[in-house]
Amino acid sequence: MTNNFSLLIPEFLVTGLAFLILSLDLFVSEKRKDYLVWVGVIGLLIILGITLLTFTNGILYQGLLVFDDYTNLFRIFFLIAGIIVLISSNEFVKSNIKYKGEFYGILIFTILAGMLLSSSSELLTAYISLELLSFGLYVLVAFDRYNMKSNESGVKYVLLGAFSSALILYGISNIYGVLGTTRFDEISLMLTSIDDLNPFLILGFIFLFAGLGFKLSAVPFHMWAPDVYEGSPLPITAWLSVGSKVATVSLVLRLFCESLLQIGNEWQLIIIVLSVATMLIGNLGALVQKNIKRLLAFSSIGHMGYILMGISALISVNEDGSVSTEMTVLVINGIIFYVIAYAITNFAAFVSVIAVFNHSGQDSISDFAGLSKRSPFLSLVLVCSMFSLAGLPVFAGFTSKFYLFNAVGAQDLLWLVALGIVTSLISLYYYLMIARQMYIEKGADSAPIKVSSSIRIILMVLLVAMIIGGGFPSPLMDLIQLASEALIS
Amino acid sequence: MDLFLVNNLIWMLPLICVFAFLIIALFSQYIPTQGAIVSIGSIGIAFLIFIFVLIDFVNGGLLPIHSSFTWIDLGEWQISWGLLIDRISIVMIGLITFVAFLVQIYSVGYMKGDSRFGWYFAVHSLFAAAMLLLVLSDNLLLLYFAWELVGLGSYLLIGFWYEKKSAAEAAKKAFVTTRIGDVGLLIGIIILFKASGTFDISSIIHVAQEGGISNDVIFWSSLLIFLGAMGKSAQFPLHVWLPDAMEGPTPVSALIHAATMVAAGIYLVGRMFPLFELGPGILTIISIVGIVTFILAGAIALVMTDIKRVLAYSTISHLGLMMLSLGSFGAPAAFFHLVIHGFSKALLFLGAGSVMHGMHDQTEVELMGGLRKKMPITSITFLIGTLSLAGIVPLSGFFSKDEILISIWEYNPWFFPVTLFGVFLSSLYMIRLYCLIFLSSARSDYSEKAHESPRIMTYPLIILSVLAVFSGLLAFPSPITEWQGFAAFIDDHHKFHMVPWITAVSIVVAFSGAFLGWVIYGARKIEITAISKPFKFIYQLVSRKFLFDEIYSWIATKIVFTFARWLTVFDRVIVNDTGIDGVGNSTKKSADRLKYFQSGYLYNYSLVMVIGLFLMAIIWWVIE
Repeated sequence: MTNNFSLLIPEFLVTGLAFLILSLDLFVSEKRKDYLVWVGVIGLLIILGITLLTFTNGILYQGLLVFDDYTNLFRIFFLIAGIIVLISSNEFVKSNIKYKGEFYGILIFTILAGMLLSSSSELLTAYISLELLSFGLYVLVAFDRYNMKSNESGVKYVLLGAFSSALILYGISNIYGVLGTTRFDEISLMLTSIDDLNPFLILGFIFLFAGLGFKLSAVPFHMWAPDVYEGSPLPITAWLSVGSKVATVSLVLRLFCESLLQIGNEWQLIIIVLSVATMLIGNLGALVQKNIKRLLAFSSIGHMGYILMGISALISVNEDGSVSTEMTVLVINGIIFYVIAYAITNFAAFVSVIAVFNHSGQDSISDFAGLSKRSPFLSLVLVCSMFSLAGLPVFAGFTSKFYLFNAVGAQDLLWLVALGIVTSLISLYYYLMIARQMYIEKGADSAPIKVSSSIRIILMVLLVAMIIGGGFPSPLMDLIQLASEALIS
Repeated sequence: MDLFLVNNLIWMLPLICVFAFLIIALFSQYIPTQGAIVSIGSIGIAFLIFIFVLIDFVNGGLLPIHSSFTWIDLGEWQISWGLLIDRISIVMIGLITFVAFLVQIYSVGYMKGDSRFGWYFAVHSLFAAAMLLLVLSDNLLLLYFAWELVGLGSYLLIGFWYEKKSAAEAAKKAFVTTRIGDVGLLIGIIILFKASGTFDISSIIHVAQEGGISNDVIFWSSLLIFLGAMGKSAQFPLHVWLPDAMEGPTPVSALIHAATMVAAGIYLVGRMFPLFELGPGILTIISIVGIVTFILAGAIALVMTDIKRVLAYSTISHLGLMMLSLGSFGAPAAFFHLVIHGFSKALLFLGAGSVMHGMHDQTEVELMGGLRKKMPITSITFLIGTLSLAGIVPLSGFFSKDEILISIWEYNPWFFPVTLFGVFLSSLYMIRLYCLIFLSSARSDYSEKAHESPRIMTYPLIILSVLAVFSGLLAFPSPITEWQGFAAFIDDHHKFHMVPWITAVSIVVAFSGAFLGWVIYGARKIEITAISKPFKFIYQLVSRKFLFDEIYSWIATKIVFTFARWLTVFDRVIVNDTGIDGVGNSTKKSADRLKYFQSGYLYNYSLVMVIGLFLMAIIWWVIE
């Protein structure tokens, strides 16, 4: 069987782009390095165009990598998200980061990792893609070398990350030891043929879940998140909260849907427990934060709780203990829409925070006092993204929560939905605290904040996307439907 | 124009005004004229879009143009957002865009020098967007959303000069009073949704006509929806807010509280008419409310001495007439009167604004008089509006009133004599108003020094007065085109027809009212006190507006507030301190405790992870 390598064109091109930037970094003068970001942006735009034009379905390496509508949706997502994060880090990098070329080069590698994760359908391939993502992030988190906090968070992230990688690897080896395969489809076949689950297999799954839970910052594997978010350079915090999360979700969804559905009765409870703990701790933890990065860290933990709620509801267990997958597509739709809406909204929030930080160098919540006077535009975007994160109507956050909760409710997990709604209400409190700072409190500084036109454009686009996602989601839902069906077939 | 384009074009109608609102609200200080130009431009474009859509609608054989998309699709049921152009909504759009356009131009002159000039136009755009959305929406949910948004626009504009206590109070009163109706509307919508499983108006009506909804449900939901219409259209007994709403700038009264927003109730009843028809007794209730409003408000208008309040009560009275017409199966006549009243009343309000502009914002007619010479254009256009509204042949108001009288005679003959009395009243008080303002001689310094308004204000008056004269001709079928008369345009079954004796009676009644008015107030042949003396009690009662405000404030202070005070105690102690604060505090406390887990030490973090692993294993083995 020959491999059709044209399927990998976007991935090859992204790799090439990363190397191009890294090597340009060696040659161009220090002053011109500010333009490297635009090389990256234009490169990604071209790759996005090529991806859209040349997409075909197929598999590579006997099914280690699968290219279907699901892959394509996430590929496009990562390319667009990459463009956004590159543009929004431009100014920050100019004034805070010394080695610009390396920063952008490594960032682009993490984009590549996200694209690969959504296509990997084998545990080791997934593991390698996950490590590609994590290694990039380890470096980027500690990139602000002369900042103690950045160093601290880098060390924490790399040590705990290594721990979680070890868990994943150990889990994979257990699974391989019992089932003799690491391919998702074969795992699924093996699982149907055996009646009782071997304890080592269970142990393997638990280790795997724990490792993935670390990447998703699910409670109790979440404790790194607030510290690392706080210490990282701001654009990387944004990328951690969006890129790495969505990448992991794309892997987890494929893993669960392609190999684990029929033993859903076994793992459902564990995921529910994780989801409940994550929703509660994430949203409660956010209540007492003083720093906006930590607050958004806890908020993203809370959001991962909703995603886990969706994962736990991928199947429903009938009364006789058998597993029903009738509504699975509905739930997958909900999860994918939720992560996309979450990504758009979180980006909007972070990019506005970045814009404020670029001006003031401050990131505690009280520094946002009086922002509505200093920059009505930024505070408008920030308040809209807070509403969207809290799940208030007209914004994407509402519609996505509605779809997800409805799907979970359709799987007879109404109490879980009720808990989700209660924690959303709790989250409204801390989101509104930020709004209060901006619109009601008076700030010490009243100088207007200058927002560069590139960030302004990005924010406009995100704001419009938030509103369209909330008011007119059907075109996006059609794409998502295709992706979900590709995953289930 | 192909259908696809028109489908998209109708979305532009509300959207363009929303954009205008956003642009003015955010960037007013950077735009020349503080954004007035954006607002006027957007409503002007909306009017052009209306013309395109109208042409397409007529070419398409008056078939509805429908454009909708799904908002939330959950398989079993879905909520969609859709706009619908049909015979009623196209009429409303024409009226709204045209009057709003003129009023906004006029406002440039009227509001000149106001400190919140830009904001005024921003809210005007918001209102236009909401109003267009209201008449376009194809489902009740979207309609309700627009309905509330219209209320918000009205609230903001009534209280535009919120430094004035009376304006702030009036805005609050309008909001609260209409809210009573709105709650009814919302409950009615929810009942209908429960019964039919959809918000879509045509589907609901279809289900009801197929017998899918029981009569009781139709009755109660129709009644509640009608309550909403009563609030917005200031029908007895929810009419009390409209006279106070005159605290807003006068062009606002012309647009919102005469021509458009108050017509929303009429529109809603017209839109839901097929449903109301099915509800036993609903049409009778509508007729009764209509006729009571028509007569009471007409009587009050006769004794008011504030120029804007006379016009406000006249508006209420005519809205009552429209309701009466709807209740008498006269929807086409009601809409015809809605349009013509819209033109005439906008003209009168703008004329009143022009008078006030020349009189340093005096509204008391006792201080006016003799303005005919000083404000010639205002005087002539005001006279045209007056005669049209009084129903004098051959101005437009005569034709629409005539059609209403015909349908009342055919379906509600018992109401006919009372209606004629109302017609008499309405021509009497209109002529009275005109005579007091413009005839005889100046009664104060203000009217002595009054001056004509600038052209930007008089041109809209002239345009509106041309319409007030000629728009009545729309009633007649055209010999050369396919136009079958306005009634047939709204409803194919209503052919244009005249009943000669009704026309004759209506002419006589209107003329006698006008003549009496002229005799008393113009020629001063009869002393007013001579008439009012024998009816002192009635005069007192009427001039205190039938004590509605007193009764309502008694109910509010004695019953509602006492009850509310009891509730407050419950709310303070149980709901707030125990419920809200209790839950809030315990949530916060638990969040505070959580903080200590986040120690910052790596070994703690990895310990928690290991514990988590064990717990997962235990759950899998022990509990499963």
